[in-house]
Amino acid sequence: MLKFLIKKQLLEIFRGYFFDAKKNRMRSKGQVALWIIFFVVIMVGMMGGLFTVMALSLCEGLNAAGVGWLYYALMGLVAIVLGAFGSVFSTYSSLYLAKDNDLLLSLPIPVRTIIISRLFTVFLMGAMYSAVATIPALIVDWIIIRAGALRILGGLIWFLIVTVIVMLLSVTLGWVVARISLKLKNKSIITTLIAVAFIGIYYYVYFQAVDLIRDLIANAAAYGSQIKGAAYGVYLFGRTGEGDFTAIGIFLAVLAVLCVLVWRLLSRSFLKIATTSASAPRIRYREKTHQARGPLTALVLKELGRFTSSSNYMLNCGLGVLLIPASGILLLVKGGEICEILDLVFTARPDTSAMLVLTMLFLLSIMIDNAAPSVSLEGKSIWIPQSLPVSPATVLRAKMLSQFVVSAPLMLFAAICGAAILKTSVAVRILMVLMTLAFSAFSALFNTVIGTKLPLLTWTSELVPIKQTAAVAIALFGGWFAAILPVGLYLLVGYQLGAAAYLAIWIVLLCGIDLLLLRWLDKKGAAIFAAL
Amino acid sequence: MLIIEHLTKRYGQKTAVDDLSLHIRPGEIYGFIGHNGAGKTTTLKSIVGILRFEEGRITIDGHSISEEPVVCKQMLAYIPDNPDLYDFMSGIKYLNFIADVFGIPADVRQERIRKYADLLELTNDLAQPISAYSHGMKQKLAVIAAWIHSPKLIVMDEPFVGLDPKASHLLKEMMREHCDAGGAIFFSTHVLEVAEKLCDKVAIIKQGRLIKAGTMEEVKGDDSLEEVFLELEAE
Repeated sequence: MLKFLIKKQLLEIFRGYFFDAKKNRMRSKGQVALWIIFFVVIMVGMMGGLFTVMALSLCEGLNAAGVGWLYYALMGLVAIVLGAFGSVFSTYSSLYLAKDNDLLLSLPIPVRTIIISRLFTVFLMGAMYSAVATIPALIVDWIIIRAGALRILGGLIWFLIVTVIVMLLSVTLGWVVARISLKLKNKSIITTLIAVAFIGIYYYVYFQAVDLIRDLIANAAAYGSQIKGAAYGVYLFGRTGEGDFTAIGIFLAVLAVLCVLVWRLLSRSFLKIATTSASAPRIRYREKTHQARGPLTALVLKELGRFTSSSNYMLNCGLGVLLIPASGILLLVKGGEICEILDLVFTARPDTSAMLVLTMLFLLSIMIDNAAPSVSLEGKSIWIPQSLPVSPATVLRAKMLSQFVVSAPLMLFAAICGAAILKTSVAVRILMVLMTLAFSAFSALFNTVIGTKLPLLTWTSELVPIKQTAAVAIALFGGWFAAILPVGLYLLVGYQLGAAAYLAIWIVLLCGIDLLLLRWLDKKGAAIFAAL
Repeated sequence: MLIIEHLTKRYGQKTAVDDLSLHIRPGEIYGFIGHNGAGKTTTLKSIVGILRFEEGRITIDGHSISEEPVVCKQMLAYIPDNPDLYDFMSGIKYLNFIADVFGIPADVRQERIRKYADLLELTNDLAQPISAYSHGMKQKLAVIAAWIHSPKLIVMDEPFVGLDPKASHLLKEMMREHCDAGGAIFFSTHVLEVAEKLCDKVAIIKQGRLIKAGTMEEVKGDDSLEEVFLELEAE
């Protein structure tokens, strides 16, 4: 039975490689091969490549300083963070929210067997994530140090220890998430904020990494002795990779104890959490008078409600909500200096700094694209707008507006910040602000048009319309193209007109395109939506 | 109230509904029965403007669903066979959303929500997200949403599926009350006993074609509706 359950779990994990959810059929062998190659290229080529560079920059220096264990400790910790945090939410979902939990629990299968099969998935996912860092670390170390058999064996055991730690952390964190989510209100907002915080920390560390590594290599011996004194466990952990069998023995013993503890925690709480996870905290209904709204406002609010109800939706189609105002503040703080430098660089093309500020804002506004998947997100509920007494054009306008009302005020704020710090004419400043509004309208309209033209209503997971459709890809890449086109043309020929005239032409052009897109939505788009 | 004239709907080569004509008058509960895939849902979806059709004409209170869809939809309510509602909303938000779209004043909607939610015992769950609703609760919410704007015509696809016996009984009473007040109801069902007891008129569809329609007495005579249905199906 365990074998069958594990096989089922594996099929679920890799289902995307074998089954095309959009077309609701199995992929051809050629497609399967392409998907696997794509995965390998992404994981090994790009992610693995990044960690290979990191390993190369650390390995030789740390070993030369006599703290080779610090290399394994650091690479191991990076792998643990990557593996545990990369899989914590999928651990929570796969352990406690699995759709077949009820079915399996109703069958004559011991709960223990179900948990083990689920844990196998967690282990595998964690191992895959962490291997992106551990495998390059091992290969680099073995080649540079010219490792002997004992060090290779120690490295392999270190690899195993890392994967087990990742699993234990994932399970424990998944359990914490499950416990919290049973009581939490506004889950989607909190999840989004946590994810954004992680992204922020990730980028902060990423940009600081070069300096950190340089500092570490320069003072490796000093840091090594400090860590060894303050956190002996970390030292032992690093020693396992070097093939220190005393450290390996201690670590394996500690891990065995932790495994038993986590198993007891899981086996005691699994049934309760798995069977109560669907029941959200009860909200008491209190009757109150609702302010009546018009159909268009109701539809726009419905779209915004959809947007804010899903952390996936907000993270993938709304990061600009944080980045645009942040960029406005950054412009106020640092923009003046940067723009002065830009003006010096582009002396032959005056006001290039204004165009570059605009381009930055346009690129950030592309990160608000909630209109693009909104038609697809209607999914099986599409009968509601289709049967209500509103025209399809009104429904599509509401989708467009749901993006515009989010992005336009933020863009306005950031544009005013930009205009305030630029040393340019009043006309250019005003036109800059108007241009951001015209571009926000264009982006909202373009995304709605693409979403209407390329809808996908047959999804089973909302991630498919949010992340994986052609509409979203075109909205993103098309948006980027549209964002850089004005500055590109300005640098090539537009500067000859002067920034004010050039911007005025673009505003007129964008307004014209906006009107054409709106007309398309009202006519052809409405017909497509009605026929879905 | 509802006039269907020579309705024909095709999916590629397949004719789902073939030259179907029906007339549903105010005050009538009209049942629509047929085996799986006979064309019931296609007909209902065509009536409410979700599906476009190739031939024929559907009018509601004299307005064509093809030419004046918004006017027609303002007069009707639709409950599909599977109530896929907006899971991200709470029950009360969904009802207010529907009321907003239909332009129901705040005081009127509040009174109707109170009345029907109390009747169907859904009041305590109105603040819950729809994602936490059972199938039956979603069905009840869809019923309240249909009744909230007091439509002239209610079109329902298998409305009793998922409802508990008490809710089924209440829905039947609501249907009768609605028609006694001058409204009309056209609904599909597989539960022939319900159709026999509840409907003023009934239509039987087979392979997209209407094979019998009329008052309950005209259709079944002295036999049971089940016997007549099985007999017609066997022909």
